[in-house]
Amino acid sequence: MAAIPDSLSAAQPRADGAVNYDELIQQDRIHGSLYTSEAVYRDELQKIFYGGWVYVGHESEIPEPGQFVRRTIGEEPVLLVRTRDGRPTVLKNRCAHRANLVCMEDRGSARSFTCPYHGWVYGLDGKLLDVPYPNGFTRDRNQYGLPVLPLVDSYRGFIFASFNPDAGSLRDHLGNATRVIDRTIAMSPTGEIKLTAGWVKHKFQANWKMLPENDTDGYHVNFVHASFARVIRSQYDAAAMTAEQELKSRTIDWGNGHTEIDFAPAYPGELAWLGLPDASRYPDYVQAMEQAYGHERAHQLLHDGPPHTVIFPNLFLAEMNIVIFEPRGPNECVQWHTPLLLGGVSDAVNDRIMRQSEGALGPSAFLLADDGVISERQQIALRSGQAWLDLSRGEQREIVEADGSRIGHVTDETTNRGFWHHYRKVMTR
Amino acid sequence: MQTAVSIEEARRIEAFLYLEARLADESRYEEWENLVDEDMYYWIPLAPDADPQRNVSVTADNRKRLATRLAQLKTGVRHAQTPPSPMRRLLSNIEIERSANPKVAGAQEYAVAANFVCYELRAQSTRQLEVWPGRVEYGLRAHGDSGGLKMFLKKVMLVHASEPLPTLAFIL
Repeated sequence: MAAIPDSLSAAQPRADGAVNYDELIQQDRIHGSLYTSEAVYRDELQKIFYGGWVYVGHESEIPEPGQFVRRTIGEEPVLLVRTRDGRPTVLKNRCAHRANLVCMEDRGSARSFTCPYHGWVYGLDGKLLDVPYPNGFTRDRNQYGLPVLPLVDSYRGFIFASFNPDAGSLRDHLGNATRVIDRTIAMSPTGEIKLTAGWVKHKFQANWKMLPENDTDGYHVNFVHASFARVIRSQYDAAAMTAEQELKSRTIDWGNGHTEIDFAPAYPGELAWLGLPDASRYPDYVQAMEQAYGHERAHQLLHDGPPHTVIFPNLFLAEMNIVIFEPRGPNECVQWHTPLLLGGVSDAVNDRIMRQSEGALGPSAFLLADDGVISERQQIALRSGQAWLDLSRGEQREIVEADGSRIGHVTDETTNRGFWHHYRKVMTR
Repeated sequence: MQTAVSIEEARRIEAFLYLEARLADESRYEEWENLVDEDMYYWIPLAPDADPQRNVSVTADNRKRLATRLAQLKTGVRHAQTPPSPMRRLLSNIEIERSANPKVAGAQEYAVAANFVCYELRAQSTRQLEVWPGRVEYGLRAHGDSGGLKMFLKKVMLVHASEPLPTLAFIL
């Protein structure tokens, strides 16, 4: 084994001033400066958030023409809008004249967007429609719209976009993750999900990459969530908190930075993922699932439950929640969450999903409050940027599947290695 | 429909609010829980007019979940409150009315509202001071001949509830 190089020298930029990602990201360890460096953060905005595909929103948030939601991609304010012809589009939320936000509301319905600074009016497709006192402005108005992101595409209602026209196809970016999204949708007997309950936003004084890493780390559960386990019997007892040899759940690296903890093999029965011993509380849901999918598949779905999967870089299919990661500089990030409400089920089922969401995620939750504090302690310990973080756990017992995915023990760092492997590829493009 | 209260009732209710605030400030959860009635609802909505059946909340604890929350805080390994945050909160603009239509028929109930600001030191991680401002609504009920009060509602409407919030594992 090679001697560990001096951590200081590894953090130095190359002669051309660029960050040396090949040295900072190795197979079995990563350098702390990746979490603290302003230069790395600026690079990530360009290459990950403006250079590739990112998740923006869901069709159910903007069902009607004219409806919009405000989002942030990287640090760029954007609007996800359903245009008059029913197509979702993503516009920069910045007036082409003097760079004012044209829309301050988080969500709403509009016929057009009027900049409150000098009254420029834009259509839902971003086109400049009107300029007050027109005689003084003689330029070509077609050059002055709200910029439309060149790539907007969706997969089963999940809308992604890219600032980069050369980012390739969404299907290529999602790769194996399309099957994961299929599993999320399949929790509804009608294949409909509704992200209509609003978003809770939880702020971490920590680097954004700690969110995808922690969210698919099965090793921490027994320790970070010890207080939860002592007061609540949950599906995680069997899935992540028993002895190493007894744990049946798995970590999965799907490729392209998409990573999962697959709890299903450890679930003792149906609806364990709703915190229930069996499906007897919701016979109407069971019946609707049987009618939709047939007996065998329905009961498989009711047993296996929804995925627990991060889709690179900013979407987390968090069981019965949808989560978005928002970077805010090297030392701060925000985790957004909303419950995954289902179409075709009773209000009682969706109420259970809503209450479970509040119990698990957000600033006061039984789980995420503890993850948040641990991430912040990591960020404090990493402040100098001069450290190495180990990623080696389970290297020797990983299994490679025919579709290229890698499977690990639930406590192994298969997921984090998968994240960093893809990250390095993107950052050195 | 509400009606005004006597000076004696108002003083008794204010004393209850100050005790509740001090016990929460000092993370004295067993004593705090003694102030809580069996139908307690502890609620931090995203907006004052939110509907908990349709809108997700920051916190929406019924009595059972609140008991679990307090039990978790008492495990000693609730990292988000280990050590507990030193806190001090101020209550002001207190308005009290007697409920004409009590939740429990025949009971003496009060609808109380106040403005508050809580200063919290995040002793578990950042060691930064957080400021939590808002309006709080309480539902209080008098019990027995002594008129001892219990709380059956605490609705905390943070000024910044819709914005990114730091970790909030204590009782606000």
